[in-house]
Amino acid sequence: MIGLFLLTLRELRARKVVVGLFVVATIVWVALAFALQLDIVDGSLAGARLFGQETAENDASYEPGAPILDEDGQPVLDEDGEPRRYDELPFGSASMLESVVFGAQAFVAGAGYWIGIVLALFATGGLVAALTERGQVDVILTKPLSRSAVLAGRLLAVMAVMLALTTYLFGAVWLTMSIKSGLWNGRFLLAILVVFSMFAVVYSIVTLVGVWSGSGPLSFIVTLGVLFVSLILSIPTLQEQVSAAWRPVVTGGYHLLPKFGNVGSTMVPQLATGGAVGSLYPLLSSLAFGAVCYAAAFVLFSRKDF
Amino acid sequence: MTEFAIRTAGLSKSYSGRPPVHALQPLDLAIAAGETFGLLGPNGAGKTTLVKLLLGLAGPTAGTATLFGRDITDPEARRPVGYLPEGHRFPTFLSARDTLRLFARMSGVDEAGRDARAGELLDLVRLSGAADRKVGTFSKGMLQRLGIAQALMNRPRLVILDEPTDGVDPVGRREIRTLIERLRDDGVTVFLNSHLLSEVERVCTRVAILKDGAVVRDGTVDDLTRQGRAWHLTSTPLAPGTVAALAEAVGEPADLPDGLQRQTVTLPDRTALNALLDRLRAEGVQIEAVEPARQSLEDLFVEVVGDGTADSPRS
Repeated sequence: MIGLFLLTLRELRARKVVVGLFVVATIVWVALAFALQLDIVDGSLAGARLFGQETAENDASYEPGAPILDEDGQPVLDEDGEPRRYDELPFGSASMLESVVFGAQAFVAGAGYWIGIVLALFATGGLVAALTERGQVDVILTKPLSRSAVLAGRLLAVMAVMLALTTYLFGAVWLTMSIKSGLWNGRFLLAILVVFSMFAVVYSIVTLVGVWSGSGPLSFIVTLGVLFVSLILSIPTLQEQVSAAWRPVVTGGYHLLPKFGNVGSTMVPQLATGGAVGSLYPLLSSLAFGAVCYAAAFVLFSRKDF
Repeated sequence: MTEFAIRTAGLSKSYSGRPPVHALQPLDLAIAAGETFGLLGPNGAGKTTLVKLLLGLAGPTAGTATLFGRDITDPEARRPVGYLPEGHRFPTFLSARDTLRLFARMSGVDEAGRDARAGELLDLVRLSGAADRKVGTFSKGMLQRLGIAQALMNRPRLVILDEPTDGVDPVGRREIRTLIERLRDDGVTVFLNSHLLSEVERVCTRVAILKDGAVVRDGTVDDLTRQGRAWHLTSTPLAPGTVAALAEAVGEPADLPDGLQRQTVTLPDRTALNALLDRLRAEGVQIEAVEPARQSLEDLFVEVVGDGTADSPRS
């Protein structure tokens, strides 16, 4: 299994696209490090600039919901004569500083989730199918290794690289933001596990279709198809928009397939920003789907004639 | 007690379809350790299927098989085996040396011995000069030689070679033949699957011919190529009276240098042959040589499988 693990690592290194992903991750956090300037005074945000552009007012007295006072300390009134109040900050932030830091982290987490998973699929999608190609499979499967160990070695290497990549991107962003802001949002790191877990779920489809068909392009297309369908099914109003006859199909499909949309649009930003995660069902049911796909792939691989 | 490198009992393989394809009929085969065994047959005869079943690349429909007494369903059965598949593909991004190291690791070769063994085999297959070159830049012949080195990394007791000289130039072929003979001399069991009948004839001690998934001939090369009770007689010319007396037992003579003639004599048994030799000597005929008449393996192959469906063997 170690041999397969090492072979796959070498194969991933040879595919320049994996190196490219690490370069992209580096560009993201380096850009964030240099482009986002935070002026912190006594633990409060005195000013923030993104690429030199002011993004937050120099307002240490910003208190969400509190009345806005004029230079004389009197409340500023709106057209109805009511006192104007500071807006509630996004992400339930208690301060402007938190909202800027959480905002940047939520952006990176969301982009890392959607773009990262698709790019990672490009980089690794053909590996399982390549394992079953005639000429290569003949050499590998005739070694004194069980087929489960062969497939496991392959998958573990892919997962190790993707975990390293996710940890590198999210960890570097977290470290950069924390050092710059002095705000150490540990929950952001939980997004690493969620993003990595969902990549593993996506890859379970690649694995199953790759083992079954031996075709890299087909496994990639099917996986993108499942991603697309699951996104459609996660539209909250879809149930009301389809006819009664289709509702069981929509409901069944929603529960059966991974919930990429729910996890990506709700869970990852909430985790990244310290917000409350309403339900773990989308994540857990997606993981269950992945587990079933992997189990089916292992059974199929161990019984297949090559 | 004989140790068998390969032993099958009723081993068969069918593929579903309409009608189902019986790639291998129930096969009972025993190859003793140390034998050099050649498997022949036209395309589609079941040769590759048999190899795939033995090495766990495909599962049998029925029957059992063992490698050195260990059931083929156990991955450990493949530990003493080296295999060169036909049309193998190594990762193009690895160097030749790294390829050998990596596949040796998969074969369970100790780390300590891997480098030395890789160097030794790269020398043996004349790839030392390209040891650190990417496999993707190799010619077909170089790939084939690397494949052979890969099959030998774990010092196997059984080597299964599928078309080992495919794509190799004549010099390389001779080297591979020499290598097989060396393996044979070292007591390694060699299972050779090749279309090159002359090669099989030269190096194999035993041959089986598969046709339509069944073994139609199995035996030593000597036994299979011997033509019944016929002998080639080389001597001075026979007296016309003797030839007339022997009638159809003597074939047409062919003239040879030094006043000799060669003809085929067909007699009921060895006693009749000796009686004929006594008579010829008594008549003053000088005998240069008497040897059993044989057909070539290629002739035998064509005779056995040649009904128009077989691919032409290369010799």
